[in-house]
Amino acid sequence: MSGLILSKSLVVYADLTYFESYLEAHSVCAFFLSCMCILYPTISRCYRVVPLNTWVLISNFKLAYNLLRRPDGTFNRDLAEFLDRKVLANTIPVDGVFSFDHVDRATGLLNRVYQPAPQNETQWGIVELEKPLSTTEIVPVIIFFHGGSFTHSSANSAIYDTFCRRLVSVCKAAVVSVNYRRSPECRYPCAYDDGWAALKWVKSRTWLQSGKDSKVYVYLAGDSSGGNIAHHVAVRAAEAEIEVLGNILLHPMFGGEKRTESESRLDGKYFVTIQDRNWYWRAFLPEGEDRDHPACNPFGPRGKSLEGLKFPKSLVVVAGLDLIQDWQLAYVDGLKNAGFDVQLLFLKEATIGFYFLPNNDHFYCLMEEMKKFVNPNC
Amino acid sequence: MVTNESSTSAGTTGNSSGSSSSSSATKPSTDIDGLLAGAGYKVKSSELCQVAQQLERLETVMVNSPADISQIASDTVHYNPSDLASWVDSLLSEFNQPPLSLQSDIQHFPDIIAGTAGIPTVQNYNYLTEQSLCQQQQQLTVVTAMEEDSGIRLVHMLMTSAELVQRGELALAGSLFEDMKGLLTRVNTGCGIGKVVGYFIDALSRRILGVGGSICGSAYENEILYHHFYEACPYLKFAHFTANQAILEAFDGHDCVHVVDFNLMHGLQWPALIQALALRPGGPPLLRLTGIGPPSPDGRDSLREIGLRLAELARSVNIRFAFRGVAASRLEDVKPWMLQVSPKEALAVNSIMQLHKLLGSDSARNSPMEMVLGWIRNLNPKIMTVVEQETNHNQPEFLDRFTTALHYYSTMFDSLEGCSLQPEKALAEIYIQREIVNVVCYEGSARVERHEPLAKWRSRLRGAGFRPLHLGSNAFRQASMLLTLFSAEGYSVEENDGSLTLGWHSRPLIAASAWQALPLSDLHVINHHTNDINNIL
Repeated sequence: MSGLILSKSLVVYADLTYFESYLEAHSVCAFFLSCMCILYPTISRCYRVVPLNTWVLISNFKLAYNLLRRPDGTFNRDLAEFLDRKVLANTIPVDGVFSFDHVDRATGLLNRVYQPAPQNETQWGIVELEKPLSTTEIVPVIIFFHGGSFTHSSANSAIYDTFCRRLVSVCKAAVVSVNYRRSPECRYPCAYDDGWAALKWVKSRTWLQSGKDSKVYVYLAGDSSGGNIAHHVAVRAAEAEIEVLGNILLHPMFGGEKRTESESRLDGKYFVTIQDRNWYWRAFLPEGEDRDHPACNPFGPRGKSLEGLKFPKSLVVVAGLDLIQDWQLAYVDGLKNAGFDVQLLFLKEATIGFYFLPNNDHFYCLMEEMKKFVNPNC
Repeated sequence: MVTNESSTSAGTTGNSSGSSSSSSATKPSTDIDGLLAGAGYKVKSSELCQVAQQLERLETVMVNSPADISQIASDTVHYNPSDLASWVDSLLSEFNQPPLSLQSDIQHFPDIIAGTAGIPTVQNYNYLTEQSLCQQQQQLTVVTAMEEDSGIRLVHMLMTSAELVQRGELALAGSLFEDMKGLLTRVNTGCGIGKVVGYFIDALSRRILGVGGSICGSAYENEILYHHFYEACPYLKFAHFTANQAILEAFDGHDCVHVVDFNLMHGLQWPALIQALALRPGGPPLLRLTGIGPPSPDGRDSLREIGLRLAELARSVNIRFAFRGVAASRLEDVKPWMLQVSPKEALAVNSIMQLHKLLGSDSARNSPMEMVLGWIRNLNPKIMTVVEQETNHNQPEFLDRFTTALHYYSTMFDSLEGCSLQPEKALAEIYIQREIVNVVCYEGSARVERHEPLAKWRSRLRGAGFRPLHLGSNAFRQASMLLTLFSAEGYSVEENDGSLTLGWHSRPLIAASAWQALPLSDLHVINHHTNDINNIL
């Protein structure tokens, strides 16, 4: 037998102990942590604040993510991908929405595109890549960046595929979900670069145009780290004078060196801990950097001034039980002080990840606000 | 405009159950929480409380664990994460046990040095009981968006031509070829959509002109092309290594083992297994390998030659080894007595892209598939590893097949772009081209490339008396390692209900699964043509 075959086959059976441990505490409610003590004797109390299936979902993420993050800052990517529940795109509409994947040859970047189903059933299954979305009405295109603390999940993760489909139905928009590169394998600024590339790609698609003047009407949106990405891509767009009509930031991931009151008060109580937040920033920011890096703290001591930029209007959603809310509120203040239009939706009793399952009031409230925000007539 | 019509209409896992489980009267009464199902998890509503408690316990255990929990997690073999209850339970038992003692010289991934033995890991694993799965047909939908107008128009014309062929209007279809060839000159046929479309235009023209037969090569040629396909991209390697991992685990504790390979080729799969068996703790078993392959013309006994080389390898690592070659042009010509399976040995049946060839028979009675699955089942193998192309090229309507094949092979060619090895890449493309020609040009028993998706194989194998063995996170991990070694960015391994798929970006292209025969006592519930089986044995 040739030595080459022998050695190649041997290699695969060598003991593989090099793993990256990532645990994405992706907006996991620390609520559950605090509820833990209460849970045993009275599950019903917990159930009143968060439905049981949501509790199970987010706890599962939290524990799985704890197993994936390693103390030395490395991440068990293989196990993370094995555990992540993914779904295929589907050109046949389901509940009024169909999807397909596109891979940009130049960059290898994958985008999953979601659109409302064609009225005419004979058109089902056909992907239209020449004609615009509409020649009469404006159909917004929402570029969505999934959460995961820059480390977890993908555009084809089940929870995000489901969420994007809801976005299409509620906002009557097309949605493009970006499969940006994640940390710690790809640190700052990879995710932002991928977001920027996606924005340029979307803007240049004739089949995403709409309205009488045939242009692409873009909104940026994201949850957790996705919200952070949306902000930074919007800044870059404003600097390049590329029009973004609005930003939707769902409990966006920001932070800073100093410890805030909400962090101390809510640490470990609602699925999220300060410790895991620190881990994810260390994994995303350039080595040796601290959390006052402008990527993490855009309005902090090292923040860049946005004066003179035509920054889009923002809808910032803050969950009242999210430990980093002080940073999110500081972000809102930062935008206000710079003179930009910002709308704060503060959901006092919401936990992170409240929008994954449509089983609570906060979810429906959010959907209403997003619908109003993405109003093609404004 | 690109068409992607599919014959099935069910939604994907994540989207068919957007409402809670209690609301719809038409939903099956499986009591699965609908919202969690939309997130990819199967949990019974009645068990939610229990699962919640287990999660809570798991957290406590993890927090109190003295060991590094990430280390324990990576050493554990995880199975079927969708079954949340079982996953949490398996983790609870992992953390409650003292950590497994690992092999002493744990290496980081070593450089490839010929002759150096790596240390295989044969880990303890927990079998999960099979859960009831609803059959789901999934749409395969990666669309490669074409940037150039010519590319789009070319595909449009190709689809029109295929539609005309389906309607029987061959002359009209043929008349489009001049224009298509003209457009081809304006598209880059060296790569991307131009290349794939070129092959499909070629295949379609062969069908119209009836010259399909000329592409078939000799068995020897096929072996060469296969070998280059093996080198150029990871699909076959993934198949081999995943199957080997499962076989290795199934053979754990057995001293006499027998592998039946449905398509030996150059025996590329087996050196790795031989090595791993040589190094397993407790010592190697006696290994028998029975390799099935087409008879060689001109007096060569190629099966025996491969067997001799494998025997030499086995001797060099001190494994008692016996090889037998079974020459048969078709799998249905093989009779179980030819394999000489002994009841004392642990049997593994290995089928890498062979089972689909049994689907081509016209007869409704005595279907070769039923017959072959029947005798496999009666041999009571410890494991049957099945790897198949993850696509549906066996649809009854020509246009559906054509369209599905166009998308499937576009993705496959896309993945080959990153390969820089020559002539491996060029010959691999010819290998793929032959498959395309078979799917597009042939009909009846000549069309052997009747690929069907995993969902169909699952129900077929279940109906034939097999139950699935789940492939776990260790096989997944190995597959991921394989990808970093050999391939371009973009390949992805995914876990799918106990099976593993390898694909390009988000589109699975090849699926590996493992099976075991159900105990004989359960056989009476399965509708079998027992007469056929009695006639054979």
